[in-house]
Amino acid sequence: MTLTLEKSSHSTLTLTVNGEKHSFMLGEGPHEVASSHTLAHTLRERLGLTGTKISCDNGACGCCTVLINGKAVQSCMLLTVECEEKEITTIEGLGDPVTNVIDPLQQSFIDHTAFQCGFCTPGIIMSAKALLNENPSPTRDEVKEALSGNFCRCISHYHVLDAVMAAAKKGGNQ
Amino acid sequence: MKLFAHVNAYSVDETIKLLAKYEGTAKLNAGGTDLLGVLKNRILPNYPEVIINIKSIPGLNTIEEDEEGINIGTLTTLADIIASPVIEKNYSLLKEAAGTVASPQIRNIATIGGNLCQDTRCWYYRYPDEVGGMIKCFRKGGKTCPAVSGENQYHAIMGAKKCFAVCPSDTAIALIALGATLTIAGAEGTRTLPVEEFYTPLGSVLNSGEMIAAIYIPKPSSVAGQRFLKFTLRKPIDFAIVSVASIITHDQGVCFDARIVLGAVAPTPVRALKAEEFLKGKELSEEIAAEAAGLAMAEAKPLSKNAYKLEIAKTLVKRLVMGLT
Amino acid sequence: MKDYRFIGKSTPRKDALDIVTGRTKFINDLTIPNMLYGKVLRSPLPHALIKSIDTTEAMRLQGVKAVLTYKDVPDWKAGFPHHVRILDSKVRYVGEGVALVAAETEDIAEEALRLIKVEYEPLPAVYDVEESIKPDAPQLYDQFPGNVFPQDNVVFGPHTLNEVVIGDIEKGFEEADFIVEGTYAYENIPNPLPPESPGVIALWEGTDNLTVWLASQGPQIFKAAFQRRMGNINLQSLGNPVGGSYGSKYMSWQYALPAVALSKATGKPVKFCYGKAEHLAAFTLRLGSRIHGKVGMKKDGTVTALSGDWLVNSGSFSEATQGMVAVGCGEAQLMLRCKNWSFIPKMVCTNRTASGQVRGFGGQELKCALTPILTMGMEKADVDPVDFFKKNYVKAGDGFYWRDGDWWVCRGIDYSNAINQGAETFGWKEKWKGWLKPTSVNGAKYRGVGVGVHGNADAGEDVSEVYVRLEPNGSAIIHCGIAEHGTGQRSSICKMVAEVLQLPLDRVYVTPTDSLVNPIEIGPVGSRGTYAIGGAVIAAAEDAKRQLFELMAPKFKVKPEDLETEDGMVYVKGKPDKRIPWIKEMQYYGSIMGHGRFESDFSIPNFMMIFTEVEVDTETGKVDLIRVVGTTDVGQVIDPLSLTNQLNGCLGSAGIDSAIFEETVLDTRLGRIMNCNMIDYKWRTFSELPEMEHSILETPFPTHRFHAIGVGEITPSPGPSAVLMAVSNAIGVRIHDYPLTPDKVLSALGKIGSPMRRE
Ligand SMILES: Cc1cc2nc3c(=O)[nH]c(=O)nc-3n(C[C@@H](O)[C@@H](O)[C@H](O)COP(=O)(O)OP(=O)(O)OC[C@H]3O[C@@H](n4cnc5c(N)ncnc54)[C@H](O)[C@@H]3O)c2cc1C
Ligand code: SF4
Ligand code: FES
Ligand code: FES
Repeated sequence: MTLTLEKSSHSTLTLTVNGEKHSFMLGEGPHEVASSHTLAHTLRERLGLTGTKISCDNGACGCCTVLINGKAVQSCMLLTVECEEKEITTIEGLGDPVTNVIDPLQQSFIDHTAFQCGFCTPGIIMSAKALLNENPSPTRDEVKEALSGNFCRCISHYHVLDAVMAAAKKGGNQ
Repeated sequence: MKLFAHVNAYSVDETIKLLAKYEGTAKLNAGGTDLLGVLKNRILPNYPEVIINIKSIPGLNTIEEDEEGINIGTLTTLADIIASPVIEKNYSLLKEAAGTVASPQIRNIATIGGNLCQDTRCWYYRYPDEVGGMIKCFRKGGKTCPAVSGENQYHAIMGAKKCFAVCPSDTAIALIALGATLTIAGAEGTRTLPVEEFYTPLGSVLNSGEMIAAIYIPKPSSVAGQRFLKFTLRKPIDFAIVSVASIITHDQGVCFDARIVLGAVAPTPVRALKAEEFLKGKELSEEIAAEAAGLAMAEAKPLSKNAYKLEIAKTLVKRLVMGLT
Repeated sequence: MKDYRFIGKSTPRKDALDIVTGRTKFINDLTIPNMLYGKVLRSPLPHALIKSIDTTEAMRLQGVKAVLTYKDVPDWKAGFPHHVRILDSKVRYVGEGVALVAAETEDIAEEALRLIKVEYEPLPAVYDVEESIKPDAPQLYDQFPGNVFPQDNVVFGPHTLNEVVIGDIEKGFEEADFIVEGTYAYENIPNPLPPESPGVIALWEGTDNLTVWLASQGPQIFKAAFQRRMGNINLQSLGNPVGGSYGSKYMSWQYALPAVALSKATGKPVKFCYGKAEHLAAFTLRLGSRIHGKVGMKKDGTVTALSGDWLVNSGSFSEATQGMVAVGCGEAQLMLRCKNWSFIPKMVCTNRTASGQVRGFGGQELKCALTPILTMGMEKADVDPVDFFKKNYVKAGDGFYWRDGDWWVCRGIDYSNAINQGAETFGWKEKWKGWLKPTSVNGAKYRGVGVGVHGNADAGEDVSEVYVRLEPNGSAIIHCGIAEHGTGQRSSICKMVAEVLQLPLDRVYVTPTDSLVNPIEIGPVGSRGTYAIGGAVIAAAEDAKRQLFELMAPKFKVKPEDLETEDGMVYVKGKPDKRIPWIKEMQYYGSIMGHGRFESDFSIPNFMMIFTEVEVDTETGKVDLIRVVGTTDVGQVIDPLSLTNQLNGCLGSAGIDSAIFEETVLDTRLGRIMNCNMIDYKWRTFSELPEMEHSILETPFPTHRFHAIGVGEITPSPGPSAVLMAVSNAIGVRIHDYPLTPDKVLSALGKIGSPMRRE
């Protein structure tokens, strides 16, 4: 699997994830990032940030949702090498890193048991977070729209809507 | 995903040079929401050796307005198109179309240029290599099309000869209705082309050394009614089973101009020229609308499992003309 | 109703913080040092013999540690009766494993697959259940002539139910006022599609030590089933949190055995997780179900006779088909108080990916095909379906054959109240306009209502054994091998123990789902978590409490029965002021081990009724679900939010939506599943949520201390047939071809020709 083509345009890569910078060598080795790696893969396999889940690996389920510069995106549909110089936030980056107090949105999910198996939950929380960042007091329909790319097969949707609405009401987005 | 070399391009010129250098073995990556799926499932006989990232080209993600229209850079995301006040005001058709694409997360990275150039969604074509091997159908250089006598419920009901896959782009039909043109850059310089002439039964007229740089939309008459309807089983995620875009200008119920474009019914977007012609000068009524719908679909010849698409297409055209949802 | 401290109150799930912070470790989140990655080369053909297979080049690729073919995998067999090998010299569906690779990275394993050269001798394939049993049909297995699986006594014992034959069927039909007859099917083989694809890590060490980390609803079932078959090795099964299962990840051997074989071959831990395409195209689906049935009815809706042939399409193998058929046969009787039966199932194999167990376990598949026959009768008798179901649902004193082949007599409650309250909540009286009559019409949009019923006597199935260990500091540890797959049951059993011992909830823990630590636990299936597992948990907590009081009684100079405990202190009943902490008598080195055991009890059926309202666009054929009301009686709510979650789950896991848009599209010329991605496989999104309401009654059951019964498993099952009824009523035409996609609706309306059969 050696490439006969010339080297890619860069040989190291720096990602900013949850406020921290991480540098990688580009390559196929166990600790390197390959040009074909998706951000979801890098977060999980290189940074151990396994809160970002992969389900469809095809842009259709939202389980891998992270924030890039505050916007919700599916990390399985992004090449890691194209994510330099961006602020990446994962589920592990929510809450207060100093006090360890979780984000009010996360707390609201706990209070409403807004999950069953919980596999879809990090992605849903990240989508909801992106919404509340932009629109701190959304309507229930706006929440539905913001979460329309998130799969939940257990059907926790109704509790999720309650949780997001309650968090918004509490101004859950400081 | 299988490995490839990756280069960032920093200008359109550089992109064109890179494309020339790699002679058909390179693929452009814009938002990647279509391309990465194609690569992950290894659906094509030839896997690209180089991926050229064009998101690194500055200045291609803007929407610029002048007296006569707007110019949309190819890298403009669908989310930015939806959020643009200019587009909302004068080109609402495009906003509506873009708003039906996929999901908020996809729209945050998907580009308009990528939307126009995306590959078909025929499920034989897209069958993943990992479960028994990809399917080498006619469109991939094979001899036959398994869809013709197979599971063709989402396939073309008109205009197809050898490949029955439909063009999946939602923005394409909106742009055609709006009379938009593309700025295409290539080794011989740039050319412009109406979006209407962009598509061919097996893809587009774009050659492997070219890229779309921008899309220009002339300003439609402010009295023209712009409408977009897309039929799907679910609002998000689904590609159109049938979609229709129209610009209809009427005065007190009498139509004096109409452009109607159908998506997902044929290998390319289809203008309903006969229906447009028919509507001109007519007083809009349920009967007239139904007749126009019939004309729009006059050439349809459904396959074994997609006669329902014809019914839906007629209904959509009728509702569009009537201003219903 | 008793006011409990925890039971019936909403309390946060014990695992909630881990879930919302992304710290929950699902199987694919685990990495073990030296771990290899397993991949499977999958067959392109639906039926073929492997003529030759050459792995030399794949073996040569750097980073590849093992390549296995049917020639070198261990001969462990799975399925009922044992007939499925890890790899075989014959492939029976597109996507079946042909070779296994273990390599240092997933990418390398994938490349290695492409270097394996296989030559096949294609065989004709068969997909339709009736084609498959024809004499000249291609044969899948030498040992199953005619492509019919035998009933298997290993499943539920020597008398495993394999038909319903009761009374005198001829006489029954003679007594009928009229007879209806027809063939109906539920054959869209939907996929329960949990978000987490099946996955496992296996580590085989030395000659006979195996550890498996399993994403499974019943990790210990793997051990119970395979330890002996693997030569009585030391087998430790560890259950991870499960990213959804809905039954489908209960029998985990399909994904576990390849990993075990690869680990055995390499001596290293091997992780093997399906990709989504593999999950959709080469993992288990619902059963295909077709019934040729005949029902004799009286004008008042009394069913005098039911005869039928139930053709069950199990796909390429039987994972647990015999069990699902047995339970389905039992459940048919629960919904229908009929004296004369002759209902004969046939379990058939065909060349597509197999059917396995899914929430609804045979019963949903049966109901979906049987209910349309019954509704023909109801229509003819012009009885209201709600009245029909109320009259016919099993009542205390009624008998039925359950899955073990024994005759059980119902000790449960009368669900008529639940039915009445559900109908009221839904507004059934106002909305029901009679058979084939819409509830309302607005232009091209027609609304209609329908109702369905389901119940299961498995809520008290099988043995559960639990220990509850009291620790001197006033905490309790539940030794129970239950896996968490989304029901919140691991938290609910903590609530039960906290209630019995009056401990703060955060002082009650469950051990990891580890077979080395816990007694065998078949797992939270068939709604058994509340009654069966709960029963054992409560008994263990009570046993521990009894021992504690025996230990403490001398100190208080009273009889043990006179003591009470709260928050880790003991006091004499009525004298709460003088309290002695447990540790005083237990000492810091002591602990108390309470033991609880639950024995099977099939005498208390649970119940679920679903009301649906749909809107049909008669010009496009689109069906929209407008409103869903579920009604049930659970005896006592354990955790309100967990319960509503489970009830809302009726939409997911190949439930209600398998009547609307969910289906697995099989191309029967290629044997391939065309919609093996999450765009083309349709699932309900946040944008299409119907109004959802539940009516939940709490009539005490004779189960355990809290008089509760579980319902989680059954919530989706009444839905699909209810949707058929609602759509038929909306459009005024009987329609019964699942799922009711626009093509079918438009065809029923006569607007287009009939779309060709899918299978
Ligand atoms: C779950 C899901 C649902 C979807 N639903 C819809 C839908 O409903 N409607 C719809 O229209 N689409 C849908 N899509 C397709 C979606 O990928 C496109 O809508 C998106 O706009 C593509 O843009 P992109 O920038 O991501 O394209 P990319 O993936 O980057 O590119 C797509 C193709 O176009 C080529 N390309 C990109 N830019 C240029 C350029 N400037 N010049 C020449 N070639 C170029 C690329 O080489 C590639 O071959 C969906 C996708 C997913 C994953
Ligand atoms: S419709 Fe076109 S893309 Fe689809 S199988 Fe046929 S030839 Fe291939
Ligand atoms: S895993 Fe990325 S969208 Fe499904
Ligand atoms: S909680 Fe299980 S998929 Fe959403």
